[in-house]
Amino acid sequence: MASALVRLNSIPKHNLSAITPVIANQIRGNTTQPPKATPPPPQPGTPPAQTKTKFGGLADQDRIFTNLYGKHDWRLKGAQKRGDWYKTKEILLKGPEWIQNEVKTSGLRGRGGAGFPTGMKWSFMNKPSDGRPRYLVVNADEGEPGTCKDRDIMRHDPHKLIEGCLIAGRAMGACAAYIYIRGEFYNEASATQVAINEAYQAGLIGKNACGSGYDFDVYIQRGAGAYICGEETALIESIEGKQGKPRLKPPFPADVGVFGCPTTVNNVETIAVAPTICRRGGAWFASFGRTRNSGTKLFNISGHVNNPCTVEEEMSIPLKELIEKHAGGVRGGWDNLLGIIPGGSSTPVIPKKVCEEAIMDFDGLIAVQTSLGTAAIIVMDKSTDIIKAISRLIMFYKHESCGQCTPCREGIGWMNKIMHRFVTGNAEPAEIDMLWEISKQIEGHTICALADGAAWPVQGLIRHFRPEIEARMKKYAEMANK
Amino acid sequence: MFRVPLAKAISLGSPKRVANIAVRASASAASTPAKAPERIEVFVDDIPVQVLPGTTVLQAAAMVGVEIPRFCYHERLAVAGNCRMCLVEVEKSPKPVAACAMPVMKGWRIKTNSDLTKKAREGVMEFLLMNHPLDCPICDQGGECDLQDQAMAFGSDRSRFTDINFTGKRAVEDKDIGPLVKTIMTRCIHCTRCIRFASEIAGVDDLGTTGRGNDMQVGTYVEKLFLTELSGNVIDLCPVGALTNKPYSFVARPWEIRKIDSIDVMDAIGSNIIVSTRTGEVLRILPRENEEVNEEWLADKGRFACDGLKRQRLIAPMLRTPSGELQAVEWESTLIAVAKAVRKAPKGSVVAIAGSMADVEAMVATKDLLNRIGSEIVCTEQSLPTQGSGSDLRSNYLLNSSIQALEEADVVLLVGTNPRYEAPLLNTRLRKSYVHNELELALIGPKVDLSYKYQHLGDGAELINQISTGTHPFAQKLKNAKKPAIILGSEMLARPDGAGILATLQSFANKISKPEWNAFNVLHQNASQVGALDVGYRPGVETALKAQPKVVFLLGADAGIVTREKLPKDCFVVYIGHHGDAGATIADAVLPGAAYTEKQATYVNTEGRSQQTLCAVNPPGLAREDWKIIRALSEVVGEPLPYDTLDELRERVEDIAPHLVQHGKLETNSFATLAEQLAKDKKIDNSKITVRQQTLKDYFMTDPISRASPTMAKCIAAVKKQEAKAH
Amino acid sequence: MATITRILAKDVSAFWPRAFFSTSNAVFTSSREAPLKDPSAVIAKPEEVEQKKKLSGVITVPTKVDISPITGVPEEHVKTRRVRIYMPAKNAMQSGTNNLNYWKIDFDNRERWENPLMGWCSTGDPLSNMQVEFNSKDEAIDFCEKNGWRWFVESLPAPKKEKPKSYGINFSFNKRTRVSTK
Repeated sequence: MASALVRLNSIPKHNLSAITPVIANQIRGNTTQPPKATPPPPQPGTPPAQTKTKFGGLADQDRIFTNLYGKHDWRLKGAQKRGDWYKTKEILLKGPEWIQNEVKTSGLRGRGGAGFPTGMKWSFMNKPSDGRPRYLVVNADEGEPGTCKDRDIMRHDPHKLIEGCLIAGRAMGACAAYIYIRGEFYNEASATQVAINEAYQAGLIGKNACGSGYDFDVYIQRGAGAYICGEETALIESIEGKQGKPRLKPPFPADVGVFGCPTTVNNVETIAVAPTICRRGGAWFASFGRTRNSGTKLFNISGHVNNPCTVEEEMSIPLKELIEKHAGGVRGGWDNLLGIIPGGSSTPVIPKKVCEEAIMDFDGLIAVQTSLGTAAIIVMDKSTDIIKAISRLIMFYKHESCGQCTPCREGIGWMNKIMHRFVTGNAEPAEIDMLWEISKQIEGHTICALADGAAWPVQGLIRHFRPEIEARMKKYAEMANK
Repeated sequence: MFRVPLAKAISLGSPKRVANIAVRASASAASTPAKAPERIEVFVDDIPVQVLPGTTVLQAAAMVGVEIPRFCYHERLAVAGNCRMCLVEVEKSPKPVAACAMPVMKGWRIKTNSDLTKKAREGVMEFLLMNHPLDCPICDQGGECDLQDQAMAFGSDRSRFTDINFTGKRAVEDKDIGPLVKTIMTRCIHCTRCIRFASEIAGVDDLGTTGRGNDMQVGTYVEKLFLTELSGNVIDLCPVGALTNKPYSFVARPWEIRKIDSIDVMDAIGSNIIVSTRTGEVLRILPRENEEVNEEWLADKGRFACDGLKRQRLIAPMLRTPSGELQAVEWESTLIAVAKAVRKAPKGSVVAIAGSMADVEAMVATKDLLNRIGSEIVCTEQSLPTQGSGSDLRSNYLLNSSIQALEEADVVLLVGTNPRYEAPLLNTRLRKSYVHNELELALIGPKVDLSYKYQHLGDGAELINQISTGTHPFAQKLKNAKKPAIILGSEMLARPDGAGILATLQSFANKISKPEWNAFNVLHQNASQVGALDVGYRPGVETALKAQPKVVFLLGADAGIVTREKLPKDCFVVYIGHHGDAGATIADAVLPGAAYTEKQATYVNTEGRSQQTLCAVNPPGLAREDWKIIRALSEVVGEPLPYDTLDELRERVEDIAPHLVQHGKLETNSFATLAEQLAKDKKIDNSKITVRQQTLKDYFMTDPISRASPTMAKCIAAVKKQEAKAH
Repeated sequence: MATITRILAKDVSAFWPRAFFSTSNAVFTSSREAPLKDPSAVIAKPEEVEQKKKLSGVITVPTKVDISPITGVPEEHVKTRRVRIYMPAKNAMQSGTNNLNYWKIDFDNRERWENPLMGWCSTGDPLSNMQVEFNSKDEAIDFCEKNGWRWFVESLPAPKKEKPKSYGINFSFNKRTRVSTK
């Protein structure tokens, strides 16, 4: 579950104040107005205010993932040619504080779906050591339907990830990084392992990494292909060799994580962009996208488009522009569009009308009652049976629920049963409201966010496509009465 | 004043009552000395409460008398936090939090009755009921089911599970996990309490979940029986009817049984129990909470052997005919026959031997009777060295550290004992300490599975000397420990060199004992033993046999230690007891007595805590309470005992040992140093140490009641079947 | 009826917050201020004060009430019965604790038998089905005394220690509390 959605109540209280502006903004639905710049100079680690008003059209020299399509050599030599491992030692020697500040300045938010500010997440590891080692865990369990960004990074740019591990590890004082790759990613795991070996041989990681005097190991742990293992605590359990069942928070991984030690779990993309941020400066990264949504991002566009693709683009690019520009437009023209799931399967679907104005960033999509998630855009044209599509997603979530806590175990199964009948229309219109209520009963009552991710597509469907469901029921009733 | 329903309603419903508790709680917090850890203040439904840091929301609520519904949470198990029933609203938190796992923060305002909380609970309840079968009418848990009760509070009065008309509910195959626990897995709500019990308390990682999501199942991963000496506790823990009592299945409903508090006598722990009866039958036995003895667990023998109370019972007095058969006769003629034999016997040739389940009252009455007819020899079946101070000093034969305090021990040496089967609930304490307090254990004796890791020092008796002289490395650990404990098995004391072992270990224990901590412990197996020694019985049957007795009273002595061959030919054997076991078969006269569920009687457990059983049912047939039989016999013998009621008898007991009538209290003593001076002989043979109960097979049948129990027989068969299997 | 007044007082104090009482039984308005004095009491003569004091207090007459001769309970069920006063234990099968904190009396068990007609349980003991609940131990004792029964009180088990539960120890890296099975 790459789009692990961090809940507000799962953030330690002392950190709550730090993200309050983010929340406040989300609640207001404020999409354009950044708060007025305060007169005194900003503290280190504050992203510079955004002055641009139009976003999109990322220039080639601003791309971070320059080998996204595998057209060049992905091995160490090729990677170094593209600028990886350049002056890594200098970055490491600048110290954890500098790296953290740079990442904070960049305004980078977690790319795994929840969008938690990365710099702040790393700074949770700043506590004085109590003798326990610290770990960085890279979440490469990319299982969200529609999402395929991390696999491209691992296949074609593994050195970015490994360098990122080293820099992120330095920033939080970790002694090792575990890259948890889902079992199905055989080629990706192989490529990453080859890259790790190369890096070890070149002295870039391991003892005295890059000659900086800092020891850092990188290990690969392959999963067995459970979606739930993409949830950070379930992933930790899985690394420990136990069933991938999420833990409650608190304790947060930064306190009790993998093997009971302080741990930070980050998405592959988050880690992979860190070296470039450090090299080119946080301010450079912050110059893309709107305030609090800064940076570039890999977008996966799939479904009924003429040219499905993964593309790196600037944050805050309008959804329509993104699809027209990179994916060759919707199959049969924009008017043939039915709806879009903008952030991987767990985010609510939005209809065409909303798609026209939607802006692809965290706040922009929250404003239209959906979520950026992993930025995996699933486009559906008018040939789609939207009820069946959502029903299929619920079936996926039912199958992937870990079964630990009640609302998810029982509730998603129930939703699946109802949705299954909705596909044929074999239900009463009153059951739509019931389904809505059930989804609300599930949402926010579970240990992890998988249940939320299962409840949202249903809510999106009911919110925007209720007439379709009702029409189908009517049709079914007519057929049955004949 | 009667507790009228109205008053009850007011007292429960009124917030003022809760407020009162809160006031008391905070007052007590304020009055505690400054040494106590700092407390933080939180508010539960606006009532302030001072709690220790790290306390969970659920615990904080419990302190002000607010009970938060729960399924997976159990205070003696690890927190799981997966049932989601305990969700409560916390002010300023957008989502409800799981009260069982969430530690409180300073100043939190917890709302256990808000709309958000109620809605969360109702939602979870609906989900739980969605796949839960509607078979309460045929469910054994019905009437004492947490799900049923909480559904009354938080469930909807009608179902909206319309899919019942389409796909129906989940159904799960039942598992066969042994002859004690019946499973109906469709009812399971996946709270994982049983799993946590098995892995944490019982130390058997047999239970677990397989499958994901709606297909998740609780079971043994492979087809296997859940065999441990504590398996019955999962029945209690199960909040629904998924795990129920197999022998008790479809027998009774909770509202038609009577419950009587009592004490378990299957081992020397003296677990507190509740005996459930209907008509004149004991139907089942449940544990009763007592923090100092059994917490809230009960070993399987104590729980399931109760069907042995209905079989092999002696229901009429019997006399042996000249042809050698026992024949049922009237009480009158039996008593006369016994009295005749007693009167005929020369002075000093009447002896009494108390068995493993003899109660203090009967033993005192027997002793008084024998003393009146000029005999002094009263003894117990289980022997204990009598050299030196012997049984004169209580600290020689008690578990001096006390069961509860053993939890605090940091280094424990077990000598010649297998606590897992000799005293399962002591073993859970040791395991608890092993898990939570990093207790270090070592064992001298046969290598057995204790359900936790320990250092096996070997099974040679010479190791005891090595320990006491300090040459063994583990002796150093004991010396350095803050609270060391040596637990000596009672079987060790029955060895020929028992006196040496006792003296050696005691003198070593004295060296390592602390002012408030006596490191020397004896673990008994017989419920009667400590009581018998307390009232002046001599341990061991040797003296009795040596005396060439003419009349032998066997007070339920069924261990097979006294046999016909060891007694003189013309000896008249009188058996007073409840089961037709080893003792009754050699008897010339059988006087049917009452089992522990049929009398109000005192038992003293291995730590010296006197507790009483209560009469749950009446003795079957013509059987009578043991002390009454003795009292009647004394009349016929012509030496009437001076007590007619239990109270009078207890006054007599009080004269002998006042602590015996202070039920529930632990009488401590500190004569250890003195005892060492008295004990001189410290010789130990270089022989192997062995214990009788080494595997689970040996555990189930150890006394007349469990030997008569068909359930226990099934358990042994199940263990054998399991052993024959590959896994 | 002195005993009854005593119980009532006790009873009520158990029900209501302490503050309620501290204002009702004294003329203190607050613990810090000096007590308000009645002017007439200040100017009264000493013997008057003495007399008033005598009249104002509650006169306790230590009388033992025994209603057994008039209750109609047969003598054998008064003289020979032994009553156990106890607090019912929590049912081990359930985790709820709400309806527990009351006292009960139980009589010693008498013989029961199966009714030959319907198989129901019969008994010759009229008191065995008497279920009386009390708010406190003292009430139960008084009730037994009044009825002339011999009684004994079952001691309560030791209270549990307060120990915070922790979810985090399930994952502890160096403790045996680490959970492996689930």
